[in-house]
Amino acid sequence: MGALALAATVATETPAVPGIAADFSNDNIWVYLVKAVLIIVFLLTSVLMALWFERRLVARMQVRIGPNVHGPLGLLQAVADAMKLLMKEDITVKMADKVVYILAPMISVFSSLLIYAVIPFGPEVRIPFTDFTTPAQLTDFPVAVLYILACAALGVYGIVLGGWSSGSTYPLLGGVRSTAQIISYELAMGLSLVSVFLLAGSMSTSEIVNQQERFWYALPLLPAFILYVISMIGETNRLPFDLPEAEGELVSGYMTEYSSMKFAWFFLAEYINMLNVSAVATTLFFGGWRAPWPLSAINDGMFNQGWWPILWFLAKVWFFMFIFVWVRGTLLRFRYDQFMKLGWKILIPVALTWLVIVAIYQGVVEFGEIDRQFFIYASLALFVIAILGLVVSSFATKAEPEVAKKTEAEPFDAFAGGFPVPPLPGQQLPPSPRAARRAAAAATAATAVLEVEAEPDTTTKTEGTSGD
Amino acid sequence: MSNPYVPLLFLMGVAAVLALGGVAASAIIGPKRYNKAKLEAYECGIEPTPNAVGGGRFPIKYYLVAMTFIIFDIEVVFLYPWAVEFRTLAVFGLVAILAFIAMITVPFIYEWRRGGFEWD
Amino acid sequence: MMTSTGEAVLFWVLAPAMVLGALGLVFARKAVYAALSMIFVMVCLAMVYVMQQAEFLGIVQVVVYTGAVMMLFVFVLMLVGVDASTSAVETIKGQRWIGILMGVGLGTLLVTVTARAALPETVGLDEANSETNPAGLARVLMSDFVLDLEIVATLLVTAALAALVLTHRRRLTPKIGQPERAAARMLAGDHPVNLPAPGVYARHNAMDVPALDPEGNPIEASVSRVLRIRGQEHSLDTDVTTLVATRDAAELTGDHGTDTAAERGGQNDDTDAATTEGEA
Repeated sequence: MGALALAATVATETPAVPGIAADFSNDNIWVYLVKAVLIIVFLLTSVLMALWFERRLVARMQVRIGPNVHGPLGLLQAVADAMKLLMKEDITVKMADKVVYILAPMISVFSSLLIYAVIPFGPEVRIPFTDFTTPAQLTDFPVAVLYILACAALGVYGIVLGGWSSGSTYPLLGGVRSTAQIISYELAMGLSLVSVFLLAGSMSTSEIVNQQERFWYALPLLPAFILYVISMIGETNRLPFDLPEAEGELVSGYMTEYSSMKFAWFFLAEYINMLNVSAVATTLFFGGWRAPWPLSAINDGMFNQGWWPILWFLAKVWFFMFIFVWVRGTLLRFRYDQFMKLGWKILIPVALTWLVIVAIYQGVVEFGEIDRQFFIYASLALFVIAILGLVVSSFATKAEPEVAKKTEAEPFDAFAGGFPVPPLPGQQLPPSPRAARRAAAAATAATAVLEVEAEPDTTTKTEGTSGD
Repeated sequence: MSNPYVPLLFLMGVAAVLALGGVAASAIIGPKRYNKAKLEAYECGIEPTPNAVGGGRFPIKYYLVAMTFIIFDIEVVFLYPWAVEFRTLAVFGLVAILAFIAMITVPFIYEWRRGGFEWD
Repeated sequence: MMTSTGEAVLFWVLAPAMVLGALGLVFARKAVYAALSMIFVMVCLAMVYVMQQAEFLGIVQVVVYTGAVMMLFVFVLMLVGVDASTSAVETIKGQRWIGILMGVGLGTLLVTVTARAALPETVGLDEANSETNPAGLARVLMSDFVLDLEIVATLLVTAALAALVLTHRRRLTPKIGQPERAAARMLAGDHPVNLPAPGVYARHNAMDVPALDPEGNPIEASVSRVLRIRGQEHSLDTDVTTLVATRDAAELTGDHGTDTAAERGGQNDDTDAATTEGEA
């Protein structure tokens, strides 16, 4: 209850709350160990679920059935796959750099497992049949969100080193691609988080959840939230950003030369990372374990206490997992240059602009005497001007190459080689005879209604064009 | 209050055991049948491309991206403590950080205009 | 504030590991190993920082240095090459001896300074961290060190410009993108769609054998140009025509068991047909 009492004081106007909201004073070594094991078990089972969930859902989206043989509804399919991988031969290719080759998948899975340490599953919970209360979270500290970023940054090494150490072309290309990709999207992600810290006044996860008692940050910080969702998909190498493992180009990217459990670790890390970023999105933007609005008001916040919050937390995480699958089932893979363009020319400038807007707005609200309404109107006007400027400048640059194009204008032969063919680049379709006829018909109809003697003129024209 | 970083060590321990154990388990359980072709690098069935003379190099373009990343990464890192202490730092902090952001944005725009973000 | 036992234990575990990592950085033959040792040292250093209650610095160390070392890694790939080891050739005469001499000098300096250093009890850590470490840091950063912050910004500007000047080449010709290439291909009257896929046969499961058109003639263009230049393509005569011959023979005798040659996917047939038409 200490945390809740603290939460109540925190929710009201308090500048710079020291430390963290959750109270870990009851925990001892055994609690740590149990929680750590629980987190790992949770992640592994969730990944098995996620594999099934994704395959079934994508199948639905593609009007298929998906795995439905092993176990009820095909639920054990992922288990069967995992077992198969475990039983497979562990191949170390000849050209591989042995030490790094074996180390890389371990780095990948190790760093992905660490992130859930600071994710609050819920507030204080009472262990059934005892008086022991403990937060449903392994630990929390004032730089918890930064710690998440650090673990994610370390995880990239698994991919890069795996790609390099395989001693093969496709993995190397995949590895280098993923370096550039992840560093590009990490920036947008980092920048989008700043506005959350600004509002919450903390980088501790439990404190950020606490601060979202009145409203979830996804609402006031909608642009930051959208930026985060885009860059989280980019960070996890998921479609449409799965360039490091683009099947059509790089076979399987950095995982090409891996087999058996080493491959399984890369695969596992990818899915755990999906769970990780979903949990971070939930915690920072979706109110963490808090019940959604109508439920949270029932019975004096009954649903925000005890074990209920874990349910809301999981529901929200799986909502983001659903978005991952939905996006995968909907969008196509980007080309590499488009991908980099999106990262550097759209996400980062937007993130920077948004950050400046939030900072100035908060500054005005907190320290200034300027009217809020005026500020909103002024920033809206600035925004419109900026958009207009962008549009104008993009037109200005686009217009340039078009001019050079208009050099050769061969006449278009619609039956070149005896077949009806479309125009070649640079050639122009002749005006459509059907359109002319239709226009003429409309004209005649109009003239018929008006009864004016312009008729013979239009009919000759139509016949002239349709003749060839 | 005990150190909040101690539980991390436990999680790291469990995670490390899992990561090592899995690879070790598959190495023990899995079959071992030697086959020369299996140990070759995979290139859709053709003979693997030999390494380029001098070890094969990558376009310098990636360096520019990496450098820009570091610059922005450092910027973002400076923004974090400011964001946390936004209220206490008041107008002075706001102005200082806006100047900071503006200064970092200048090379960003310059790089953009020079075509540093164009990929081909 | 005295060092607690936990802190001491962690230090004595991490410190030797870090020394080993640092030695690895210096002595590793492969540049990538050096980069790896460096990231190892950085992560251990971060743990030491966190242990000494400089949490923000510790975590930021990982965040920033992983990026920085990543850059080093990429740099290695670009300048040294994917699989090259560092060469031990002296470029300047006597470089090694000068290096050793200066190294010994630096070592002596460091050892004497450390040996003479007085380590008084640390004070003020609790006040500094009273409202969490990042908050305390922010207050210091935004009051006493605000000018330094801005100077750091100018430093970063310089770094960005330097990187751009060193690596960026201004484009002199117009950019040739996907649409331009497609247009050029159409104008040149080349094959308008994808080239036919190579023949992947059951007896030779690779992409270095040309596909067959409906009349059974090999389509040279179906094998990747790279392979043709390298001379790695397999000719049809040796491998496949014999197979086709056996297939035909098998069909004549009505035995379908050996019907393995020249199996192609449905989509290949379309492209093959298109090629024959074009050639005809």
